[in-house]
Amino acid sequence: MGRARNRCEHEVDGKRLTPSMPADTGKEAQIARSTYVVVPAFNEGAAIRDVLAELVRVYPNVVVVDDGSTDGTFDAARAVTPYVLRHALNRGQGAALQTGVDFALRRGAEYVVTFDADGQHRVEDIPSLLEPLAGGTCDVTLGSRFLGMQSQMPLARKLLLRMAVLFTRITSRLPITDAHNGLRAFTRAAAERLDISMDRMEHASEVLDIIRRRRLRFREVPVQIRYTSYSLGKGQSARDALRILLHYLIGRAVR
Amino acid sequence: MNPWQLNPFQFVLLLLIAGLLAGGILALLKGWLRRRDAILWLLFWTVGAVAVVWPDATSLIAAFLGIGRGADLVFYCAIPILSFGIWMLYIRLRRVRREITLLVRHVAMLEGELAARGDPASGPAASPPADQSTR
Repeated sequence: MGRARNRCEHEVDGKRLTPSMPADTGKEAQIARSTYVVVPAFNEGAAIRDVLAELVRVYPNVVVVDDGSTDGTFDAARAVTPYVLRHALNRGQGAALQTGVDFALRRGAEYVVTFDADGQHRVEDIPSLLEPLAGGTCDVTLGSRFLGMQSQMPLARKLLLRMAVLFTRITSRLPITDAHNGLRAFTRAAAERLDISMDRMEHASEVLDIIRRRRLRFREVPVQIRYTSYSLGKGQSARDALRILLHYLIGRAVR
Repeated sequence: MNPWQLNPFQFVLLLLIAGLLAGGILALLKGWLRRRDAILWLLFWTVGAVAVVWPDATSLIAAFLGIGRGADLVFYCAIPILSFGIWMLYIRLRRVRREITLLVRHVAMLEGELAARGDPASGPAASPPADQSTR
């Protein structure tokens, strides 16, 4: 029952939504202006400047949360966007996301997009995430690399992610196809209800729990992941996955 | 065995326990501890005192439970009690971590707000000093 209520319609006014934005560029630009893109970053000095430069061309409001990096992440980000927050201590990606979302809301964001700093996401995928939100049919959209198109993903990573999806489907009771994709979009109302308390990587599952608990209408949108040697090196290993799982379960148990 | 003939070891232990009990009573009266916690504390050390003064008592209970010696009974009881203590410490550690995160977030937000307002004196410097001592 909660499941049915959680899922937002895939159809709007009887016509199927396409992944691209409508031709109405005025509206598109307006949405882009009221969108804040939150980029959590920890020691991403090597890649972040290019990632941000690509982002700000379309989305002027980019909030970087430097999660206590020890390299040049802060300066590199500062050169591209005025909104660079700094965690004095490394607190984890979940904590950084929540900080960025809080800041975006305080700046008056109408839409909040979360975007990884390592260059694995594509800026061109963001409009298809925002479109259902702007149409008022969804509160949250989640990028899914398994929905529809396929990106060239190493087999070991694919298996690991499939297992993560299965686990997340069981714990969150949401029919999702990709568990740990950092590309998401929230309406202001949905972002205001976000209260990530799991500071580290286990926040990805917690976000789904929040969606279910708050009965937010969500939808998955196909996105592509750019697997470069850099972004793969930044990814999680099977051992990390086990640790994340343990932290998540304890986090749920002792809330 | 006459409980009033104590060996030096028992005497020292009893003094220690008496101190712990006195502290517990004080904490209960002053409200430093929650009532339930204080009573658990007092109960625990009262049982400890009985076991020190009359070691055969543990042997009796051990025999009743089918455990060989009283010392083994004490040992078996100590494992879950200590595990519980470690778990409670872990919970507290998690809470402290959470509080650190909230604090770090608060500071980051303040700095970010000031920087966004274009206040050069209060915003983060071009290259703020990273706190290396904590890593």
